[in-house]
Amino acid sequence: MDWQATRVSLLLAVLTAVLLLPPGIALARWLAFSSWRGKPLAEACLMLPLLLPPTVIGFYLLLALGQGSPLGAWLARQLDLRLVFSFEGLLLASVLINLPFMVQPIQRAFAAIPNSLREAAWVSGLSNWRTFVRIELPLAWPGLLAGVALTAAHTLGEFGVVLMVGGSIPGQTRTLSIAIYDRVQAFDTAAAHVMALALVASSVVAVALVFAADRRRPLQER
Amino acid sequence: MLQVELRNATPMRLDASFDCAPGELVALVGPSGSGKTSLLRAVAGLLKSRTLRGRVAVGQQAWFDSERALDLPPQQRHAGFVFQHYALFPHLSAIENVTLAAGPATAADQFRALFERLGLAGLERRRPAQLSGGQQQRVALARALAREPKVLLLDEPFSAVDAPARQALYRELAALRQTLSTPMVLVTHDLGEARRLADRVVILDAGRSLQTGTPAHVFASPRNARVAQLIGIQNHFRGRFHKREPGWAALEWGQPCGIELRVLDKNRIPDGATVTWVIAGERIDLLPDGAADGNTLRCKILEQLALGETSLCTLQPERLTEERVTLSLSTAQLRSLGADAAGCLRLVIAPPAIHIMPQKDGSAGN
Repeated sequence: MDWQATRVSLLLAVLTAVLLLPPGIALARWLAFSSWRGKPLAEACLMLPLLLPPTVIGFYLLLALGQGSPLGAWLARQLDLRLVFSFEGLLLASVLINLPFMVQPIQRAFAAIPNSLREAAWVSGLSNWRTFVRIELPLAWPGLLAGVALTAAHTLGEFGVVLMVGGSIPGQTRTLSIAIYDRVQAFDTAAAHVMALALVASSVVAVALVFAADRRRPLQER
Repeated sequence: MLQVELRNATPMRLDASFDCAPGELVALVGPSGSGKTSLLRAVAGLLKSRTLRGRVAVGQQAWFDSERALDLPPQQRHAGFVFQHYALFPHLSAIENVTLAAGPATAADQFRALFERLGLAGLERRRPAQLSGGQQQRVALARALAREPKVLLLDEPFSAVDAPARQALYRELAALRQTLSTPMVLVTHDLGEARRLADRVVILDAGRSLQTGTPAHVFASPRNARVAQLIGIQNHFRGRFHKREPGWAALEWGQPCGIELRVLDKNRIPDGATVTWVIAGERIDLLPDGAADGNTLRCKILEQLALGETSLCTLQPERLTEERVTLSLSTAQLRSLGADAAGCLRLVIAPPAIHIMPQKDGSAGN
């Protein structure tokens, strides 16, 4: 078991979920309640990371963030921030490719709240913010949990983008899935087995969590 | 006093006005799609429409005034709203549903009396899913009252509960009215409910308010044929109006060799006009079979549908083969008159029982 890679993977999963949750909630809520005409286009763009091959996304991120690009050069010059082959860059890539995994379940949860409940809150004098905190969030929490669990599980398993943007620097960007690949290349199948099983277990736990939360959905009590 | 005068183009056409005094209950009545719920939502500030024009005011305070570009959000309107399907917050207990609406500074204890009055004592900690339909509706009412609203708006509040619970809720609403001095607006498609509960009714059709008045007045004197149709008056007929001596007229019924009924002339209908007219069923007297004379019509019983204590009778007036009069008559009375299916009886239609309206929609009745 490569504990260094495990630590990188877990840190990446937790930070991705934590960083993505607030903007994910904002975006999901807007998509669920907005009647803006361009909404289908926004939803299609959001789905892109699910459809494109991870290597393609990784390739473009590499181009956009590398020091050969204006953005990469500017970040390196002004902030001394190198986003290629670094943990920070890996985190940024991870946040971007996980958008649909975080937003989709939360959006569905918000959309399932009957409009009359929000209207009842408004006529009861609750401001939009209090309606969000007291009514929408408590009713949509299974969606939030699902978004976090799916994002974390997907981050643990991501391979293509990680390899393209992060490379395989031990302790920095070598995640579990890359460590498995390295072990298999070195014919160390026993070590690959252990890490693969750990990833399978974490995915099973995440999916179980999502389904368990769904069964306790507050709106089903109606 | 609530004053409403609203016009809207899309998504729901509206052209309606009504007012509601403190303590008064006004029912907005109409078929589905008549705009009654949209009108109620517009009063509460829930109808989102760029084409909404007019004014909603409670006392001296305007909630909506298109001329002044004033449109208060629902939170600032202080309207208690009871939704058709309750819209209780499913994750909160009954008492939490109510205290949330009352504001953060309010303690649950303050609502003990209200819960008791609404028959909800002991149910405070239950979630909506653990309450019956009638109990949920009472919690919704308590929530609407918790904010001490300036107007109470009820959107088909009794349609989702079963008949016995509805009767209980009717009684409770009547009792509640004794203690409230808030204008109350009830939306319903149930005419019986409107007749039973409301001080005044507003008849709506395709977003327009056609007639406003006490239930007794509107049901006895519908303003036009459309109102008569909407409030379910079955006995409406066409005829021609002929002026006679001052104060009196003749109503020609049936072509070509019809009959003439003696009616009152209130000087609102021109001589020779084609009219729609209705009979108020409760003002018709019955006589056993005999000769017809003036406003006493001999009718053949075409059908007699027994509905327990009453029978729904379809009658055909003599000489008027195309016309049908439908009356709900007491079965005992029919028996005492010796009337049975295929037999005859006589109807005495007193002139005041006949309400005459011009054919054109929107003009005043006689």
